[in-house]
Amino acid sequence: MDSLELRTTADMAMLDLDDSGLAELEDAVSRVLEYFTTMAAIDVKNVEPTTHALITGNRTRRDQPASLALADDVLEQAADLEDRLISIPNVL
Amino acid sequence: MTDTESLEEYLAFIRHQDRETGSFLEIAVRPGAAGAAGATGDPAEHPAGESPEGSPPPPPRLPLPLAVKDNIAVRGYRLTCGSSMLENLVSPYTATAVERLERAGARVVGKTNLDEFGMGSATENTPLGRTVNPWNHDFVAGGSSGGSAAAVAQQLVPVALGSDTGGSIRQPAAFCGVYGLKPTYGTVSRYGLVAYASSLEVIGVLGADIGTVARTYRLMSGVDGMDHSSVDPPPDGGSPDPVRTVGVLRGDLGLTPEVARNYAETEQVLQARGYRIKPVELTTLEYVVPAYYTIATAEASANLARYNGVRYGYRPDYAENPEELVRKARSEAFGREVKLRILLGTYVLRSGFQDQYYTQAQKIRTLIRRELEQIYREVDVILMPVFPTQAFPRADAEGAPAFARLDEFQQKVADRFTCTANLAALPALTVPTGLARGLPLGMQLMGPAFSEERLFAVAEDLAREMPIQFPRSSISWPEWRAAGGGS
Repeated sequence: MDSLELRTTADMAMLDLDDSGLAELEDAVSRVLEYFTTMAAIDVKNVEPTTHALITGNRTRRDQPASLALADDVLEQAADLEDRLISIPNVL
Repeated sequence: MTDTESLEEYLAFIRHQDRETGSFLEIAVRPGAAGAAGATGDPAEHPAGESPEGSPPPPPRLPLPLAVKDNIAVRGYRLTCGSSMLENLVSPYTATAVERLERAGARVVGKTNLDEFGMGSATENTPLGRTVNPWNHDFVAGGSSGGSAAAVAQQLVPVALGSDTGGSIRQPAAFCGVYGLKPTYGTVSRYGLVAYASSLEVIGVLGADIGTVARTYRLMSGVDGMDHSSVDPPPDGGSPDPVRTVGVLRGDLGLTPEVARNYAETEQVLQARGYRIKPVELTTLEYVVPAYYTIATAEASANLARYNGVRYGYRPDYAENPEELVRKARSEAFGREVKLRILLGTYVLRSGFQDQYYTQAQKIRTLIRRELEQIYREVDVILMPVFPTQAFPRADAEGAPAFARLDEFQQKVADRFTCTANLAALPALTVPTGLARGLPLGMQLMGPAFSEERLFAVAEDLAREMPIQFPRSSISWPEWRAAGGGS
């Protein structure tokens, strides 16, 4: 993977990498990606992909309102609160 | 292990004995850590040993101290995942697996070290702690559940929980010389396990004896309403028959001489105990690692997108706008290996590359499953190496031999014997099988889905000839007390 591709990919992943960070990761990413290309050697014609090896269906909870008893504990983990609202920098 | 004095003594024992090994990130018993603090009146949510309505409590079935890998939630404890991103996060809830064990009498005594978000083979990819192999401190404990494996090997706890996405329980178990079970996918609820690669990872057990590992697994397994992928294992494990035939791999497997010799010795022990040995061939073995890392990194890139510095976790000192907040949080708090895997995962999921990488890997996953289904028509379990080498030297160990070192890429490629079970969702169990060069050896038994009980039975048989050993530096809790508690 060249630097431009890596920079584009990092941008999509919301990672800011400086030049030294990019250079350092470029070799590592390229080495693994090259290894991934060995998968092309195996014949997968007419083979269905497996996303989950054992799950055969989807199980869902009942569609009804419920209260979250953990809300206060969860809010305690936020870095910046105003009353019960989490603050972030201004959008504009 | 219930009265306050004993607990304090026990924690002092762990603190003292763990000074050099560094298995734990947190050593503590918290009053609020048992169950979910009685939030709803459900007996399941009361601390072990207490009765919600005055009825006599049931006798504890697992009255043991328990260490928990720090990517598994326990209310009141930190949940760092070995990452600066979550260094100060305190878990507001408890994982189902832990809650079930607490209900059975287990007492959490601390959280163990790991590679950041479970990404690594040495417990070196973390800024939060340094864990070494209890047998030789110049060598790694393995990873990513290296803290749990080292804690058991050092006899700090009889049992510890870990997670296994591509070998993260079995490989450190082999490196430290303890038992390590990766259960069938879905038999143990993932509720409370911080997500890395959701279709591959499971919570499992590391222990000092096979009976305790089996008991722990039985107590924490079963369907859970909080995990849609959880299942009840069938009572007979899918087959009522005992294991008779053991499959073994032949040919050049790329093992070190010590591991190759031990593989042959373990096979001979099984044969001497009456098992029929049958050579099997895994033609998909060379594709296992690229398929595994393609799928694991793709799922990681999606799962770790949630860390954005907004609701919890690391937040930078200053950000001009929300996007800068997210970028700074992720760039400053994730470690190198995590960034590498996020980049790989983002790339293989990009439009135009998906078929070449991600879909191809999923099709290979199908071929691996099919091949194993075929093999399990002829053998009951497969005996396999866990890793091509024994524990390798730590990156910062100056005295260790250069030939034994593995760089980060070689460590990934060496996962070829462990990833198979994750891709196929099968149970696999590391058993200690001896020592060489002063370091432990371990082999794994891999069976069809839900065959845990059959793996335990073979492991018990092996233990008669190949009993677990502990490093000389370790001392058990009863020995510690008898010796006056380190005074």
